[in-house]
Amino acid sequence: MSDAAAIIAARLAELWRTSRPSILERVAALHAAHDALFRNPEDAEARSQGREAAHKLSGVLGVFGLPQGSELAFTMESLLMSGNPLTPEDVIWLGEQIEALDAVIALKG
Amino acid sequence: MPRRILIIDDEDDIREVAALSLETVAGWDVTMAGSGAAGIVKALEQRPDAILLDVMMPVMDGPTTFRELHALPETTNIPVILLTAKVQAADQKRFSDLGVAAVMFKPFDPLTLAGEIAHALGWTDD
Repeated sequence: MSDAAAIIAARLAELWRTSRPSILERVAALHAAHDALFRNPEDAEARSQGREAAHKLSGVLGVFGLPQGSELAFTMESLLMSGNPLTPEDVIWLGEQIEALDAVIALKG
Repeated sequence: MPRRILIIDDEDDIREVAALSLETVAGWDVTMAGSGAAGIVKALEQRPDAILLDVMMPVMDGPTTFRELHALPETTNIPVILLTAKVQAADQKRFSDLGVAAVMFKPFDPLTLAGEIAHALGWTDD
């Protein structure tokens, strides 16, 4: 590993520790959006908040070495930003993606 | 003399990682702003060589910030690179059509970000 790579890897590990709480807040926002959409798939406010959280997570997780997390977040964002009404199956799928995202983040610790 | 880059992003973690990357890998001087309005003030004060500008920010988003920078004679010639999480093709075209120097996507690789910026801006000596 080059000097620059070693410095960046060490600093990224520190930044992950400080950034993790805000990342978990965004995941919590996704959970809240999912819960609201489970009760009412037409809840536009929940859909918007879920989309925003997914967009932010899509951008940040890969920076910390979690590309799978970014991809999961992007697929959720794509669903939430589509103009189509959400079906019950969509909401179930969304919940499964959030569970997968939880697992990806938990693995990193 | 090292390049001077201004990073405008409302997300602390993204700002920190991008700055770490550009300073460590390329040796550039980096300043940061957490909002479009603060970024415009810093751009006027410091006249950086380039600006890395987040798209989705509260109050003043990236495209609006870019338009403000482009309208000011002091900053109109500073190249701006939009930085956004992965977007749909239509949004990508909309951003490119703004007249920015480049559009780059998060997540970025901290080890290659500086090289990608240099390539996009034609900084062949970096």
